Amino acid sequence: MSSPSHLSLILDLTPVPWDALSHSTPPLRLKDFLAQALVFINAHLALRNENSVSVFGALPGRSMILYPPAGSTQVEADENTFHVFGQVDEGFMRSVEQEVEDLQEVEEDVPPALVGALTKSLCYINRLSNPPPPSNPSEAPPPPPHSRILLFSVSPDASVAYIPFMNCIFSAQKLKVAIDVCKLDESEVIFLHQACHLTGGAFVPITQREALLQYLSMCFLSETETRKTLAVPTLDKVDFRAACFCHKEIVDIGYVCSVCLSIFCQPVLECSTCRTKFSPDTLLRFGNMNLNGHAHTHSNGTVTA
Amino acid sequence: MPPRRDADFNISDDSEPEDDELDEDYNASRTIRTKGKGKGKGKELGAYAWEASYKRSWDTVQEDEAGSLQAAVQDLVARSKRRRCACSWGDAPIRRTIIRHMMFLVDLSTAMMDRDMRPSRFDLTLSYAREFVSEWFDQNPLGQMGVVGMRNGVGERIGDMSGNPQDVLKCFLDKTLLEPAGEPSLQNSIEMARASMNHLPTHSSREILIIFGSLTTVDPGNLLDTVDACVRDQIRISIVALSAEMKVCRDMCERTGGVFGVALNEGHYKDLLFELVPPPADKSPVSRLAAQAGEGQSELMQMGFPTRLPATAPPSLCVCHSRLRSEGYICPRCNSKVCDVPTDCDICGLMIVSSPHLARSYHHLFPAPAYKAVLELDGKEASACHACSLPFPTTARAPLQTEEGMSPHGRYRCPKCKHDFDAECDLFVHDVLHVCPGCG
Ligand SMILES: [Zn+2]
Ligand SMILES: [Zn+2]
Ligand SMILES: [Zn+2]
Ligand SMILES: [Zn+2]
Ligand SMILES: [Zn+2]
Ligand SMILES: [Zn+2]
Repeated sequence: MSSPSHLSLILDLTPVPWDALSHSTPPLRLKDFLAQALVFINAHLALRNENSVSVFGALPGRSMILYPPAGSTQVEADENTFHVFGQVDEGFMRSVEQEVEDLQEVEEDVPPALVGALTKSLCYINRLSNPPPPSNPSEAPPPPPHSRILLFSVSPDASVAYIPFMNCIFSAQKLKVAIDVCKLDESEVIFLHQACHLTGGAFVPITQREALLQYLSMCFLSETETRKTLAVPTLDKVDFRAACFCHKEIVDIGYVCSVCLSIFCQPVLECSTCRTKFSPDTLLRFGNMNLNGHAHTHSNGTVTA
Repeated sequence: MPPRRDADFNISDDSEPEDDELDEDYNASRTIRTKGKGKGKGKELGAYAWEASYKRSWDTVQEDEAGSLQAAVQDLVARSKRRRCACSWGDAPIRRTIIRHMMFLVDLSTAMMDRDMRPSRFDLTLSYAREFVSEWFDQNPLGQMGVVGMRNGVGERIGDMSGNPQDVLKCFLDKTLLEPAGEPSLQNSIEMARASMNHLPTHSSREILIIFGSLTTVDPGNLLDTVDACVRDQIRISIVALSAEMKVCRDMCERTGGVFGVALNEGHYKDLLFELVPPPADKSPVSRLAAQAGEGQSELMQMGFPTRLPATAPPSLCVCHSRLRSEGYICPRCNSKVCDVPTDCDICGLMIVSSPHLARSYHHLFPAPAYKAVLELDGKEASACHACSLPFPTTARAPLQTEEGMSPHGRYRCPKCKHDFDAECDLFVHDVLHVCPGCG
């Protein structure tokens, strides 16, 4: 018999794009979205008695756990299923409302703390997959659940956190956790593409928002094992561009320090990471390319943005 | 737990233990003993390194109220994990050589047929070598490795320097081609390895890793001349010996800035080998990179980050083999399609790498800040771990069990974001994640 599965949801709750979404056609208000997400969560819990769920939120500049409530002991999944439904519904809705209410004073242009939410989710999953030994040694410990992460994205990639974000992807790979991304708006995300590609998750842009629940249950409800036999949409193209260390800009041709592999968008005299000074010959070699390379990145940037 | 390697070093040196860490251990163990049993043997300790790390585990174990050893055992496990990691977590990012070139020299002499390690030295070496190669390429994505066998008094080229893990793994797959025979020759093999690293670009490290089972070496000339040449070429030699220490081997490693270790058992063998996986910290005096940084000789490389086409894309011809295929990578400069990365674009010559390959090594450059153990509570702390949201234990452990780097409350605090984490998450953050959940 297969082991139970754990689903970790990460919600991008940044107010500005949610406001835009609720005024777009067709509108998707946060409240409606949460209602559909809840149905999806309940469907996941109902699939199997031992299934469990955790929800993390990312707000501008901070991230928090929304469910199970912080400080509580591990969720007991073996209770009456309907009871669990009730717990999730109440606990989850209450904490989202709480967090959104607290939000008013926060500045608007801070990117959401996706990395914070991802790291917390990974730490939580790590605890689930390495449970403390049972107090009674004669009992066989319950099998650790298969975990996966589903990220709802409404804002463009914040390239500011390129390195921490990549570290999260590699940790997810190590834990054998797939990262699925459900993209609710049209903004460009490069690193989320890479996350899905590297962890074997699905990337699904929602083109018809009124059918959100349909997308959720068709694409994200099946666990990674089952997906081998299903036709879950996979990525079309994967863009392997990276963010430069100097301006956090996304580049397709970069200059890389041979000592520490830091990426720069244009030739530099000294590596800002490891303080290596580069030989003048190298710089001369890129001298004429400098203009070309720059024009190239720029034209590319304007086309894709 | 195998004895620590520093300990073997000192056995043969017959010198005073100089290592700070040993002194700390020794002091800690002494206080525990005098406090715990009051035997007052403190003054006799410390002459030898192996006495310093000796500690009676039953002295430190305490039953909880219910008379169970559960908590105490978990605590011991956590402590040993923490001690293992504490030495590798630094505050400041160290500069490391990330583009590595390694020649892997494997002893294939009859000494490898010895069965003191199960199933035999030879079989064990092959299986460890395979694991080592995969792990090494995982952590050194732009590295290259070649394999040389030592048997019948000569060095035998088994695999050329390659950046493809599959090519290197292939060298260790067919056992029958590697059948041990005759005597090994250190000099011949090292000379062969040295020759194949002569042409390397200046920005890469040059390393030789030797797995040595024999106690003799059959050389055509003076081995020390070869070592001199390696020092000149700034080649770092590391040796994992399977039998016993040989003076010439230890000297060789010390002079070239490498690591020397003698494997005591199967587990220790693996530990020694896998310590060589992470890029070496760039501290040794012979480091070519440190020297170069001063002279301004390091290079900046231009690299392109491609777009990957899926298997469902319309097929097109690749520029490398002119084959009709769907999958491939698009060169960002000239838009031609190549089959695999990393490679140089056949049309415009741009080096094409996938950026996640580079990113794999960034945690060496920007490690998460080391957490400090919280020794005293002021009543204002969060009740749950900031990362996994599990509650902290409410009762502190007995003071007897506190030790350097361990928190009696099971709390570890990030110096940057001032959030508290439990021991499990502390380990996970620094071992795997490399991002602080509070700062991220
Ligand atoms: Zn830049
Ligand atoms: Zn650098
Ligand atoms: Zn091809
Ligand atoms: Zn090209
Ligand atoms: Zn924790
Ligand atoms: Zn922190």
